[in-house]
Amino acid sequence: MNDIVIAILRSGTPLVYVTLAGVIAQRAGVWNLGLEGLMIIGACATILGIMLTQSFVAAILIASLLCIAASVLLWFVIEKLKANPIIAGLGLTGLGIGGTALAVESIFGSQATVTAPFGVPRLGPAFGDYGVLSIFVAAMPFVVFAMWLLLRRSRFGLQLAASGEHPFAARGVGIEPARMRLVALAIGGVLCAIGGAELAGGSLQFFAQGMTAGRGFMAFAAVIFGASHPIGATLAAFFFAIAGALGIRAQLMFGDKVPHDLLQALPYLATIFGVWLSGKLGAANTAGAFGELKDQ
Amino acid sequence: MSSQSPPALACRDVSVRYGDVAALSGVSVEFAPGLIHAVVGQNGAGKTTFARVAAGLVRPTAGTVEIAGQAIRTGHVRDSRAAGVELVHQSFALPPSFTIVEAMEFGAAGRGGFYSRKGLADKWRAHLAGLDIQVDPSRRIRDLPVETQQSIEIARALITDAKVLILDEPTAVLSPAGIETLFARVRRLKERGVTVILILHKIREVLGIADTITVLRGGRRIEGPVPAADLGAERLAALIIGDAARASEDRDALVGKGRPLAEPTAGQPGLAGRSPVLSMTAVTTAPDSEGAPLHDVGLIVRPGEVVGIAGVEGNGQKTLVRAIANLAALSGGTIALDGQDVTARSLAARRGAGLRIIPFERNVEGLSLTSSLWENWSARELLEGPLLKPVHPSRIRALCDRSLKDWGVHYHSPAQRAGSLSGGNAQKVILAREVDSDARLIIAAQPTRGLDIGATAFVWDSLRAARDRGAAILLISSDLDELFDISDRVVVMLSGRIAGEFAAPYDIQSVGAAMTGAGHAATGA
Repeated sequence: MNDIVIAILRSGTPLVYVTLAGVIAQRAGVWNLGLEGLMIIGACATILGIMLTQSFVAAILIASLLCIAASVLLWFVIEKLKANPIIAGLGLTGLGIGGTALAVESIFGSQATVTAPFGVPRLGPAFGDYGVLSIFVAAMPFVVFAMWLLLRRSRFGLQLAASGEHPFAARGVGIEPARMRLVALAIGGVLCAIGGAELAGGSLQFFAQGMTAGRGFMAFAAVIFGASHPIGATLAAFFFAIAGALGIRAQLMFGDKVPHDLLQALPYLATIFGVWLSGKLGAANTAGAFGELKDQ
Repeated sequence: MSSQSPPALACRDVSVRYGDVAALSGVSVEFAPGLIHAVVGQNGAGKTTFARVAAGLVRPTAGTVEIAGQAIRTGHVRDSRAAGVELVHQSFALPPSFTIVEAMEFGAAGRGGFYSRKGLADKWRAHLAGLDIQVDPSRRIRDLPVETQQSIEIARALITDAKVLILDEPTAVLSPAGIETLFARVRRLKERGVTVILILHKIREVLGIADTITVLRGGRRIEGPVPAADLGAERLAALIIGDAARASEDRDALVGKGRPLAEPTAGQPGLAGRSPVLSMTAVTTAPDSEGAPLHDVGLIVRPGEVVGIAGVEGNGQKTLVRAIANLAALSGGTIALDGQDVTARSLAARRGAGLRIIPFERNVEGLSLTSSLWENWSARELLEGPLLKPVHPSRIRALCDRSLKDWGVHYHSPAQRAGSLSGGNAQKVILAREVDSDARLIIAAQPTRGLDIGATAFVWDSLRAARDRGAAILLISSDLDELFDISDRVVVMLSGRIAGEFAAPYDIQSVGAAMTGAGHAATGA
């Protein structure tokens, strides 16, 4: 039993961090489709950072700064150049996937997997079977709670939601929606860096090209499924993670009787199911026009 | 009132330009403290821009703003609010998903920090009670009726110690009873020492509440503030309209004098005998997310008749139009056009039978702003015939050119984008498309909203002309004066039902009572 819980926590934690980044961006009015790109930048920067500095703290700082920079770029393109947020987000995803491949290629001269000497610090033997999990897994519930507090129980959260839902109302009381979106995307950048770091260094300690494999989009789906509520979206992310873990289980149990590809597709099928379900339940109706920053 | 105390709000030489367009030119005006001031003018006179400059939402190109004698930085909402100026917007500006207390909290002064739901409710309960607003503070803004929404908006504006409260067209969405409640509230605020600036465009309302009146026209201050007692309705109307060509007719319309119809259609013999163009029996629609569903609506419109639909916004008027246009699913009842049951027919078939619609949102539903004029104009024709029917753009352009010229649209080429037209001209394009000789039933939904008095008169004349040709007109408006002026009958909608039917001469009290459900036996005259 423990090993399946560990598997779910391992695959679910990176997804939760990135989902929270999507939630905070969505509250501010940005449907962030750049999550995939931010996550892979975080993953790549963490591994390369550890290799270059031999320090985990320095690596996570580098990853956070890069992800903040990429988020600010997204903000600039949306807010100042008035680009469509969906297109801009997809562009950022392309930049992340291509940029990390280019970085690895130019540093190591090959496209091969890059392995770091160590990954994210583990909890250690004091936690028994769960000691193999990283500190980010342990921190995750607290981060979710903090995000809930910030978004749902603080003046800042209300101002952020007003900026996203009705920018004109926000401006009417002296809030600058553009600035709120910048703050939201920057916080999201840090969360994506942690999500990427956990993916590449939590249980593994290497970076491979395209290793996010659509998890950023899955996080985006969790934002919709979870109705942009930090806790709802976290549960949605875990729903996808559980579907993935069961897929691997099923693979071991059924062996060759069920096509391998079908089982691997389980989390993605779960994602489609989740988005369909949230549409049915009307949960996705919380925000206004999809991907549009409206102002009066 | 002591003349020594500085004006509560003063603007000096304020100009606002948007590109080539001057919204305000050199406006200087001072509002004395403790009074109710009215700022009046036509659409496009610069009233809303003026309000937004005072509130810091718009930074003027030139000029200064002083609050209680102190100059403030212009274009900074925080500075304006800190000085005590609050603005309540025409179309309400509160996030719909917020609860009432959240809407109070998000713009409150101070640092805020974290809260609990209960703490928040306790914090604002007293404030709402102090303003006589009886409503469960955990309800969401989107679930509130417009009148309550407006009270909440005013309560939001008064969370800080507001000294100057500006209300932008507060009466536009209210029923007559709602307007009375609002004005009573405004008078109580005056007693508390708040300077209230009301932006209005109806002379009757202005004279009923204001202590002083300021008139704007074409972005300039024409008059004021002068004591309201010194101005009569006629004089005020003349100031608002200026020396426009059609002034006297328009003025009557503005003052709310219903001019006698060309012929007394209401009691016209034979009209009642003519078979109806539109006949809806027991129509009930399935609930959807787009508005109040209809319940058991029966409605008949005969040829040569204008039937007005009155009601507070959001009481099923939009659903009524959608039901007639086959855009809302019916769960019961039948709809017939010219005696022919079209309940199961598509919108295209109904248009073929003579249904024409001037939609609520001219810039969203009525026109494609990014398409050319001729493409917009040709939409009617393109709906007919098979999908693969060849189109001749040059022929359509020529036809469109002729039609738009007949309708007096000001444009330079049929290829220009519809978005480049002013509101009045855009509405004329829609009229040119919808009001043709084959039109049997014309639904005009808020056809004059946002238009100036000249364009309004044009729309009314077009509808009258269509009626005189024998078309049936269904006019939906939230402006009772407009309805009373051109309708042969007025039907009131409340919560998706028909709440009453009235014939001329209209009694505003009983129509108002039907709009709010106050009168039960609401079938007057």
